[in-house]
Amino acid sequence: MKSDSHRWKWILVSPALVVLILAASGPLLIVAIYSVLSPGNMGGVSWDFSTEAWFRVFFKRDIFDPENVTLNADHLAVFQRTLWLSFQTTLICAALGFPTAWFIATRPVNRRMIWLFLITVPFWTNLLIRTFAIQELIRNTGTVNTVLLWLGLIREPVELMYTDFAVLLGMSYVFLPLMVLPLYAAMDKLDFRLVEAGYDLYASRLQVLWHVILPLVKPGFIAGSILVFIPSIGAYVTPRVLGGGRSMMMGNLIGLQFGQGRNWPLGSALAMVLLVIVVVALVFYLRITTRETGGRDGQQ
Amino acid sequence: MADGTQQSGNEIEIDAVSKVFGLGAAAFHVLTEIDLTIRTGEFFTLLGPSGCGKTTLLRVIAGFEHPSNGQLRIKGQDVVGQAPNRRLVNTVFQNYALFPHMTVAQNIGFGLKMLGRPRSEIDATTSEMMHLVKMEAMAMRKPAELSGGQQQRVALARALAPRPRVLLLDEPLSALDLKLRKEMQTELKRLQVETGITFVFVTHDQEEALTMSDRLAVMNKGRILQLGSPHDIYHAPKERFVADFIGETNFLSLQVIAVQGRSAELALPGGRTILARIAEGLVPAEGETVSAVIRPEQAQLAEAGSGDLSVTVNGTVFFGTDTHIHLTLEDGQTFTVRRQNTVGQAEPAIGARIGLALMPGALQVLRG
Repeated sequence: MKSDSHRWKWILVSPALVVLILAASGPLLIVAIYSVLSPGNMGGVSWDFSTEAWFRVFFKRDIFDPENVTLNADHLAVFQRTLWLSFQTTLICAALGFPTAWFIATRPVNRRMIWLFLITVPFWTNLLIRTFAIQELIRNTGTVNTVLLWLGLIREPVELMYTDFAVLLGMSYVFLPLMVLPLYAAMDKLDFRLVEAGYDLYASRLQVLWHVILPLVKPGFIAGSILVFIPSIGAYVTPRVLGGGRSMMMGNLIGLQFGQGRNWPLGSALAMVLLVIVVVALVFYLRITTRETGGRDGQQ
Repeated sequence: MADGTQQSGNEIEIDAVSKVFGLGAAAFHVLTEIDLTIRTGEFFTLLGPSGCGKTTLLRVIAGFEHPSNGQLRIKGQDVVGQAPNRRLVNTVFQNYALFPHMTVAQNIGFGLKMLGRPRSEIDATTSEMMHLVKMEAMAMRKPAELSGGQQQRVALARALAPRPRVLLLDEPLSALDLKLRKEMQTELKRLQVETGITFVFVTHDQEEALTMSDRLAVMNKGRILQLGSPHDIYHAPKERFVADFIGETNFLSLQVIAVQGRSAELALPGGRTILARIAEGLVPAEGETVSAVIRPEQAQLAEAGSGDLSVTVNGTVFFGTDTHIHLTLEDGQTFTVRRQNTVGQAEPAIGARIGLALMPGALQVLRG
C-alpha cells in the first residue's frame, strides 16, 4: 500500500519534473558542457576537452606570440558596463516607479485598474518595435534633435545613439513596468492609517515617507529590483539596437560568439559567467534584505 | 505636551464647525454647525450611532479633515489649516495603526523621536510609558506578536508618550471582547486621572460613555443633540433620540393638564394625574399631547387598584440580576418595568391585572 501511494506521488510530479529537466536543467547542462569543448570550424563544437574558452573569458593571447598573455580588457569592460548599466537601470526604475505606483495606489479603487492597464499597454507591442521607436526619437535626425535644432538650443545634433545613455534610456523604459507593478502591489496592501498615525505623531511628510512608507513597501522594492536587475544583466535587444558595437553588454557579447565569432565554447563560458553574476547578485541582495527585516516582523 | 499640571479652562473650542463632503446636489453634510467646548483635563465622550459624524469631528480636531466652515481652537489658538503633525494632539486609532515594522519600544518612542528629543529622554519616557501600560516585558516584540489587548495598550502608550495636550480615542475598545473591554475601560479611566490629559473619546457604546465620561455629547446626523454629564443625559434626556439611544426607556403619549414653571401635570390612562419635569427649552401648551419618558427601573409593581396606573402583565424576561416585566396600559400603550431579583420573589402571572407606581419626579416631558 505504502509503495503504491509512493509511486503515485512520483507519477503526479512527473510532468513538473519533465518540464524542469527539459526546460531548465537540460539546456543549462548543455551550455556547461559546451564551455569545456573546442570550437568547431563552421560553428558548433568539436568534442575535444579544452579549458581554452574559460581562459579566454578573462585573458587573451597575442596573435603572434601565444605565450604573451594579457587580461582581456574588452571582456572586462563589457562585464563592468553590464553591471553598472543594470544597477543604474534599477535605480532609475525605482526612482520613477515609486511616484508612479504611489499615484496609482492613491487613486479611487475603480480608477486604479485603468492606470494599471495603461502601465501594461507597452507590453502589447513587440520589444524590438518599441526599441526602434526610441531610436527614432533620439537618432541624429530624430524627434529630439529636430526639436532642439528648431528651437535653436543646439547648433549640431547631439549624439545620443550608440551611447551608454541610449542603452540606459531604453532599458529603463522597457523595465519600468516590472518595478511599478510589484511596488503597486505592496502599496495596495499599505494601511494608510499608518501614514495618518505617522503625521499624528509629529512626523513631517518626508519623515513619514522615510520611517513609515518606505520600510513598509520594501518587499515591493525588493521584488521590483530583482525583476528589473536580472533581465537588465541579460538584456540583448535594447543594447543591440541602441548601443550597437560601441556600448555592448554581455548578452550581445555572448550572441556574437554564437554568430560571427563562431566560438560556441567561448559563448557558453560567457553565458555561465553571466549566470554566476546573476546568482551572486541575487544571493547578496537577499542576504542584506532579509538581515535588515530580521525575518520575524509581521510583513509578508 | 502639557507640563502635566492640571489647568482649568477650555482645552478645545469648536465654533459652528460644519463639514460637507462632495459638491452641489451630491453634497453630504457630515457635520452641521457643531458648537462644543471641551474643558481641560476632562474625560469627554462623543456618543452616537455609526455615521453620526463623531469620528469626523474627532478627525477635524486631529487635523486629518479640515472643517468646511467654522472655527477650531486648541488652548485658545486657532488651528484650522494646521497640519496634524503640528498639533499637540495625539490619536489612538480604532484599529491601533501600530507600525508593523517597529518593535513595541520603537512604536512608543516614535513621536518623541519625530519631535527630535534626545535619545536619553526618548528611552526614559518609553520605559515610563511601558510601565504605565504594563508592557515592559514586551518591549522588543513586534505588533504582530501581540494580542488585541496588548496592541491596545501599546497604541495608548504611543499616543501618551509625547505628553499631548489632548488625547483623541477613536472607538479604541470596539475590537476587544467583552471582558477585556471592561478591563480597558477601568484602565483608560485610570490613565486619564493619572496623566491629567484631556481625553476625547468616541464611541457608539452607551454603557462605555456613561461609565467613563465626565461629560458627553450625544450626536446624530451630524448634530449634537444633547451635552451634559452622564447623569443628566440618562435622567433628563431632552429629545426622544437621546432617551432612546441611552439605556432602555418607556415612551408614553400623555395629555398636558397644566403647566407650572418647569413641571407639567399630565393625565394618565385611568384618570389619575402625575407631575413631570419638562426638558430644557421646551414649552408645552395645556391640552397638548406630549411625549414623556421614564426608565424601566423607575417604576414599581403594586397591588391591583393601587399605584398610578392599572396594567395587564404581558410577559416576563429573566435577566439574572433583574427581570423585565412587559405590561400594557389601559389605553393600549406598552410599558416595561425592570425589577431587581431577590430570593423567593414570585413572578407576576401573565394576564394578571395589577397596579403600577411611577417614582415621583422620574417622568420627563421631551421633544419628539
